[in-house]
Amino acid sequence: MTPVLTFRRSRTSKFVDRLMRGVLWGLAILFVLVLVVFVGAILKQGWPVLNLGFLTKMPETLDAGGGIKPQIFNSLYLVVLSLGLSLPVGLGAGVYMAEYAGKGRMLNFLRLCIETLAATPSIVLALFGMIVFVQAMGWSFSIRSGALTLALLNIPVITRVTEVSLLAVPRELKEASYGLGATKLQTILKVTLPYAATGILTGLVLTAGRAFGESAILVFTAGTNASAHFPDFRLTVPGETLSVHLWYVTSDGTLPDAREIAAGTAAVVILVLLTLNLLVRLVDRAIRRRTRSGLFST
Amino acid sequence: MLTPTLPETKPIKLSVRNMAFSYGTKKVLDGLSMDIHAERVTAIIGPSGCGKSTFLKCFNRIHEVSSTVNVSGDMLIDGVDIYRGGIDEVDLRRRVGMVFQKPNPFPKSIYENVAFGPRLFGVTDRSSLDGIVEDALRKAALWDEVKDRLKESATGMSGGQQQRLCIARALAVNPEVLLMDEPCSALDPIATAKIEDLITDLKENLTIVIVTHNMQQAARVSDYTAFFWLGRLVEMDLTERIFTTPRVQMTEDYITGRFG
Amino acid sequence: MRLFDTELKALREGIMAMAGVAEEMIELTIQALAEPSPAKAEQVNLLDRRMDEWELRLDQQCIDLLALHAPAASDLRRIASSLKIIPELERIGDHCCNIARRVAMVHPPILAGNDLEQLGTETRGMVRRAVDAFVGNDAALAHAVILSDDSVDALYGKIYRDLLRIMLADPLCIERASHLILVIKNWERIADEATNIAEEVLFILEGHSAKHTYLHGDSVE
Repeated sequence: MTPVLTFRRSRTSKFVDRLMRGVLWGLAILFVLVLVVFVGAILKQGWPVLNLGFLTKMPETLDAGGGIKPQIFNSLYLVVLSLGLSLPVGLGAGVYMAEYAGKGRMLNFLRLCIETLAATPSIVLALFGMIVFVQAMGWSFSIRSGALTLALLNIPVITRVTEVSLLAVPRELKEASYGLGATKLQTILKVTLPYAATGILTGLVLTAGRAFGESAILVFTAGTNASAHFPDFRLTVPGETLSVHLWYVTSDGTLPDAREIAAGTAAVVILVLLTLNLLVRLVDRAIRRRTRSGLFST
Repeated sequence: MLTPTLPETKPIKLSVRNMAFSYGTKKVLDGLSMDIHAERVTAIIGPSGCGKSTFLKCFNRIHEVSSTVNVSGDMLIDGVDIYRGGIDEVDLRRRVGMVFQKPNPFPKSIYENVAFGPRLFGVTDRSSLDGIVEDALRKAALWDEVKDRLKESATGMSGGQQQRLCIARALAVNPEVLLMDEPCSALDPIATAKIEDLITDLKENLTIVIVTHNMQQAARVSDYTAFFWLGRLVEMDLTERIFTTPRVQMTEDYITGRFG
Repeated sequence: MRLFDTELKALREGIMAMAGVAEEMIELTIQALAEPSPAKAEQVNLLDRRMDEWELRLDQQCIDLLALHAPAASDLRRIASSLKIIPELERIGDHCCNIARRVAMVHPPILAGNDLEQLGTETRGMVRRAVDAFVGNDAALAHAVILSDDSVDALYGKIYRDLLRIMLADPLCIERASHLILVIKNWERIADEATNIAEEVLFILEGHSAKHTYLHGDSVE
């Protein structure tokens, strides 16, 4: 006769299970607390400064009471420009890598390049941008130098996000499309890209947030001055952004209210980033709902 | 290899002669020859890994989408070689439709799923599309269930409805041959019975080739049954013969469950 | 061994047991007729009850196997044929009873020679060989059984004509002779049933019907 085994869960394993659950809960709460304290501190310092005047006035060079209107504009303008430059390139590269490049050494090499580029510290990109665009091209500190260098920061991320989103599209859907007589391009345009749109859009908004908060690159390429005109759409003028402004006023120290301005600017940056992240969620949810309810047609 | 000997009134739609298939250096199918008649259902059975699904996919070259493959010998549709006869593979896939193991509707509305194929071929006129969609859904025995919710998402349907939608989607481009790769393996018995009834209706003007793990299904729906083993055709005959008096011992062992 | 094979084996053993009872009944019938022995005739009647029990049980086994295992090919043929063999065996039992019932009515004997006994033993031999063919999957033996049906038929015809002659010659023999006609008719039926069993065995083994071979020429399929 085979021996009868009794399976009894030990007390310790139950205890460890509960303990781990507690520890993980604790870590999660700790993390949320840190975030709340951090954001709270910034908003608390910045809140008194935040008013319509601060947001809509031009900055002062020597006196207190200046605003950050052009910096807000420059930040948004640079994000839009850099995304406009990097989106077609990144999307194209992502589609190529996911759909067209044959699996093999070439693709792996390409992927390595893009990952290296994605992992490059922004200060290195900043110096590259300064040497190439600011000096060699003779564009000096300008919106165009800033936008191009910022695009270099965005491209690898968008490429990677596009590739990963496309690769996540179920093979069955592509087969269904090919099975109906669709060409490769038809399949990509009508099935693969729409399906991957959620992921790509999410990545895009995150990229926008990162570009919005970027400072090192823009200090060296877009400069620390804002145009005196508003709104100034010229690509050749310097374009100081919020993050750069934040750094510049505190390190330069000529303004009597540098501390307040920095606090206010920081609060604006944090608020915009929070909004962007919220936007990611909303976009994601909206697309999901539309996809489910079937209105997501091409 | 044995082929049926009875007089057959339907013409040969697909013809395979000494066909072999390999991925790189790995030979998956070898020495295959068979004729598949129009307006008949031909079932392919065999143990997992015998190459039956691969064989099915050779008829519309869908495996070429994801990998490089090597097909030798002849595979003819209406006497024209699928691989060397100058047939465009995109056009071939329109003529030779496919229904997959797992229902794979697009995450679009029911209407858009069926209209997908016709749109690919430039049908944009709304009333023509409406007509094609209704016709295809009727042929797939789905119209009455979905006619009031054509705008709803296909992904909200039951598995059986999704699979019939996939059949309707394939029918919408008016194929000559329908390949079915274990179309009921993810469905419950009631949904399976509906698909099986549908297969019997559809063979009126289609050539159907079905791969199935379910031998009773092969027995129920098919006119001919081919037994594959290790990438070779062991025996092909009228289905009732395969299931009552197979001529090859290996077939007998397989269908009586005494294999290996 | 797979559950299905175990159950198939049980069915086969059940049929062998039922056939054993049938052979026992035939043997007793022959003896009851020859001696004559009302006791043995009564035994035949009792055994028929066991045949009926076997029939019900084996029928159910066949239906269960069909319903639960969806058999194919030779398994399907074996079970389908079993469903036909079982009633043939049961009818053999019934025919034995019919003969045994008349044991008292055919004595004293009116037939000269041992034709009647020979008819019984030849029929018994056919049943035994048909069962052996089923048990031993022996197609040659099954063919032999089918061929030997002709000799039983010939013997039946001869005895029948003899009985007619006896009746014409002596009206006092008419009652016994008409019972004897029924007796030999029952033997002849038993031989037919053995033939049917042999045909089913051939169907199991060869996959095509051995019946009504004259139809095969212009088969429609």
